[in-house]
Amino acid sequence: MGRIKQICRKRCFSFTLLLRIVMIISITLAVWRKDWTWVVGTCIGLFISLIPSIIKRDAKFTLPWLLDFLIALVSILHVGGRLLDYYYTIPGYQLVTRFFISVLVAFIGLAMIFILDEHWDGLKMDKYAMAFVTVIFTMAIGVFLEFIKWLNVTGTYYVKTNHVLMLNLSADTIAGIIIAIIGVSLIKTGQFDKMTDNFSDQIDKMVIDKFEKRTLNKK
Amino acid sequence: MNNSILRYGGIVLSYILKIVMIIFLVISIWKVHWVWIFGCTLALIVSLIPTVLKRNYQITLPLTLEILITIALILHVGGGLLGAYSITHYDTLTHFVSSFLVAFLAFVIIYILDEYWDGLKMDKYAMAFVVVIATIAMGVVWELNEWITDIIFGTHEQWGYNDTLKDLFIDMIAGIVMAVIGVSMIKHGSFDEMTDDFGEQIDKRIIKRKKDEAKNGKN
Repeated sequence: MGRIKQICRKRCFSFTLLLRIVMIISITLAVWRKDWTWVVGTCIGLFISLIPSIIKRDAKFTLPWLLDFLIALVSILHVGGRLLDYYYTIPGYQLVTRFFISVLVAFIGLAMIFILDEHWDGLKMDKYAMAFVTVIFTMAIGVFLEFIKWLNVTGTYYVKTNHVLMLNLSADTIAGIIIAIIGVSLIKTGQFDKMTDNFSDQIDKMVIDKFEKRTLNKK
Repeated sequence: MNNSILRYGGIVLSYILKIVMIIFLVISIWKVHWVWIFGCTLALIVSLIPTVLKRNYQITLPLTLEILITIALILHVGGGLLGAYSITHYDTLTHFVSSFLVAFLAFVIIYILDEYWDGLKMDKYAMAFVVVIATIAMGVVWELNEWITDIIFGTHEQWGYNDTLKDLFIDMIAGIVMAVIGVSMIKHGSFDEMTDDFGEQIDKRIIKRKKDEAKNGKN
């Protein structure tokens, strides 16, 4: 991970920049294929890719590089799969995408728990308890994703079979367990603290401090 | 005064439920339903576990937990023995009660760990959140178990995509209901009263012993 980070820094290369390029290509392809649902989808993707820059500029907020990388990877996998029909032509492609979405969810979950543990008086948690909550959080979010699919808000076609549902839920569980194991090891060596340090301070300043002050005023 | 009346009522209810279980056993013997003779005997043994724990190991489970365990067993055994599963939404009711039991157990465990373990300090709303996601996650584990059983043994534990999603939705609702009740009980101090004895016994038998072992290990 350190090597990837170094390469990224040396070449002034950002994952979000790659994501933006892919999104612009995708929008062009979607317009060319007259896939209007997907034109909207890719526009949302482009907006997501712009979020880190907007946050950095307006709120002086830097996302951890791994989070940046995972957002880019998941968006590219999803958009690419939809536009190039990989979802239908490559067996198991959907499961791989789902796995990485769950990895992203698990990382966000662990980071949030870690930050709250560091800065919020309402939560003090042992690292193994954090790992456990990360796993159940990832599984629960997976279930929410399945509810959204079932409601079919976006009108996108999904394969709705019990077998696919159970495979997806298995992917969520495995992703949660993997991130929990990696997370505990990173917390033990102090690397997780380093990785989220800047992000954590900003969250503390912008959200937790304000929330605690408001609670104190109410009292 | 009110508390003692409630406690007395609870004990009476617990005995009534056990009598119902014995009646079910008699019915299954009378009908010579071997599956349900076995099922009723097993359920009766499980419902007597709290009494055995109290008498032989001085562990007092919260009365609500004891009652919930017995109700869940009665609903399941009664449903099978008397054919109540054919009643519309009976299955949903049984599933809800089981999930509510899981949520209640999760809340009790988190609350006791928060009170007695140094590794966890949690705000009551954070507890409520963890209870909801833990109940959903347990639902996922249950569904995965059914799915794997079906694959290995060729059984039909799962009834299909919509039914699995419905079960997961009921798990979520049960978790939310328990979270709301739990937070309100914590606010009024009744959750503390309910888990007091159990918490102290767990602390004495598990948490303090682990702490002592860790200390001795270091020395």
